Amino acid sequence: MAIDYALRMGDGKKIFLSKDQLLEEIEAGSADAADLGEIPSLSGDELAKLSEILMMPGKTVSVEQGMEVPVTHDIGTLRIDGDQGNSGVGIPSSRLVGCMMHERAFGSDTMELGHIDYSYKPVKPVVANECQAMEVCQQNMIVPMLYGAMPNMGLYYTPDGPFENPGDLMKAFKIQEAWESMEHAAEHLTRDTVWVMQRLFASGADGINFDTTGAAGDADMYGTLHAIEALRKEFPNIYIEAGMAGECVLGMNGQLEYDGKTLAGLWPHEQAPLIEKAGENVFGPVCNTNTSKTSAWNLARAVTFMKAAVKASNIPCHVDMGMGVGGIPMLETPPIDAVTRASKAMVEIAGVDGI
Amino acid sequence: MASKEEIIAKAQESITEFDADMAGEAAKEALAADIDPVELIEKGFTAGMQIVGEKFEQGSLFLPHVLAAAEAMNSGINVIKPEMEKRKSKTESKGIVMIGTIEGDIHSIGKDIVSSMLSIGGFDVIDLGRDVAVSTFVEKVKEMKPDVVASSALMTTTMVTQIQLEEQLKEAGIRDQVKTMIGGAPCTQDWADQIGADIYGESATDAVNKVKEVLL
Ligand code: B12
Repeated sequence: MAIDYALRMGDGKKIFLSKDQLLEEIEAGSADAADLGEIPSLSGDELAKLSEILMMPGKTVSVEQGMEVPVTHDIGTLRIDGDQGNSGVGIPSSRLVGCMMHERAFGSDTMELGHIDYSYKPVKPVVANECQAMEVCQQNMIVPMLYGAMPNMGLYYTPDGPFENPGDLMKAFKIQEAWESMEHAAEHLTRDTVWVMQRLFASGADGINFDTTGAAGDADMYGTLHAIEALRKEFPNIYIEAGMAGECVLGMNGQLEYDGKTLAGLWPHEQAPLIEKAGENVFGPVCNTNTSKTSAWNLARAVTFMKAAVKASNIPCHVDMGMGVGGIPMLETPPIDAVTRASKAMVEIAGVDGI
Repeated sequence: MASKEEIIAKAQESITEFDADMAGEAAKEALAADIDPVELIEKGFTAGMQIVGEKFEQGSLFLPHVLAAAEAMNSGINVIKPEMEKRKSKTESKGIVMIGTIEGDIHSIGKDIVSSMLSIGGFDVIDLGRDVAVSTFVEKVKEMKPDVVASSALMTTTMVTQIQLEEQLKEAGIRDQVKTMIGGAPCTQDWADQIGADIYGESATDAVNKVKEVLL
């Protein structure tokens, strides 16, 4: 009798696949990434290794000894206290407690302080509060403490900000105006991030994390790259990390360039050199999970993309792993069987430098 | 004078080059050469739009390009409209689609792309915005009688509200007067089947194709 292996759908549902089905899924997943990104698909050995990881009998798996990698956290500060549908556990605790738990109990190698609104723009009026919290964290902790938030360029558009919403403008076929609105918003985004971080660096932050870069499309990435450049110039020794919002930069503008490259439509391996050029220390590439496909398909696809990104990057790649990214199902409490398998495959096959 | 094939090729090129002036010229030439406007639209403009749509799906063209192509198409069609009306091959609206991001969810980027692609595809789109209360969806359906009511959910915590939309449409006695469509990253065909939604769209192009299948 053929043995069936317990896997997941991208939405977390448990499924059972035979070995042949599993092999078909990973081949197809890798081929999909190869086709979209015009990158090599996984080799026969790599596919075999991936299938081994997926078929391991244990509920959880781990990397081989000696292959451990650093683990960094983004809004983890709030992961303990918060419970907003994004894997928070809702245990009342301060941000300091959240950070210290990650350092001392969970073994995080770096931590990040973030505000509940988690975008740079709303941090402006409460920056003194953030500086105070950063100082208290620094006095109590040893691991590098970054400050992090989302560039979230959408906040610069109506009804939340001063510039007309390009989505509305485009629906009215006002393309030129939409482009101008995006460019203005990108300038404000650069300016605000630099202003906020000048204050946080004065309060001892070791670095900055741009979380979900490109969430509002190519102009969001454009604004972020310019902010990175400006910060690098002003603070040559700080630690700058940028994680992406998705695998492909959405072309909301379509014509913005950085270093002579059109930003719209870039895949992780094409994003890496630009992020590095802007002055980053660490890149956080993303691959999205398709909820209608199996975890085998999704993981093979994600590993294929990440392997190409690692190869293209001279700076460390800390792959984004969480609900709905990095081959992990889209579920509030991502299933541990899928999370540990995805993590092992990212380290041992894609060769990522961290998670 | 240019041949029929040349004119149709020019119409197609005007779309793939996003050139509204060229589209207008091609339309004028077609009228002068007595080409059937329906043929010009189908083999010229729509064929060009198809190419643009495919490139959008592949990620080599982006939303503004699709919009610019649609704008070119409109200028071409405006030129031949009087002739079409004479021939009574009217370009009617293909149907009304009402769309919004479901209650509690403010993610609007994907929903906006879907709504733009639907209007480019010839549908009248009523965009209710984001964080739209289920009761608002129901009221607006009653009031505006769309053919399809579409909800976007980007979070596992808000997609469950799509069930309420199904139920409240039933309670209001209007569920059988409208098709429901759902989409957004956490939604799947399975989910649509489970809650009884008529259409699941994985992407903007998928949504347009499926609405066409159902309505046309
Ligand atoms: C951008 C973004 C935001 C932006 C949204 C800006 C805006 N105006 O839309 C901001 C920063 C505001 C935001 C806020 C939040 N977010 Co958010 N966000 C994202 C992000 C990074 C990308 C989403 C996106 O726009 N994708 C691009 C578009 C084009 O794709 P799409 O939406 O899937 O749409 C396509 C298809 O799905 C389909 N489609 C979409 N809608 C429809 C509708 C129909 C009818 C059809 C047929 C098809 C269809 O067609 C589209 C085009 O092909 C995702 C993570 C990710 N990478 O996916 C998280 C994510 C969705 N967010 C998440 C969370 C938790 C939040 C917050 C609660 C965070 C917080 N703690 O503050 C708040 C939400 C508050 C609220 N009440 O809604 C979680 C959701 C987790 C969950 N439980 O499911 C995600 C998955 C991140 C994560 N892993 O934690 N977010």
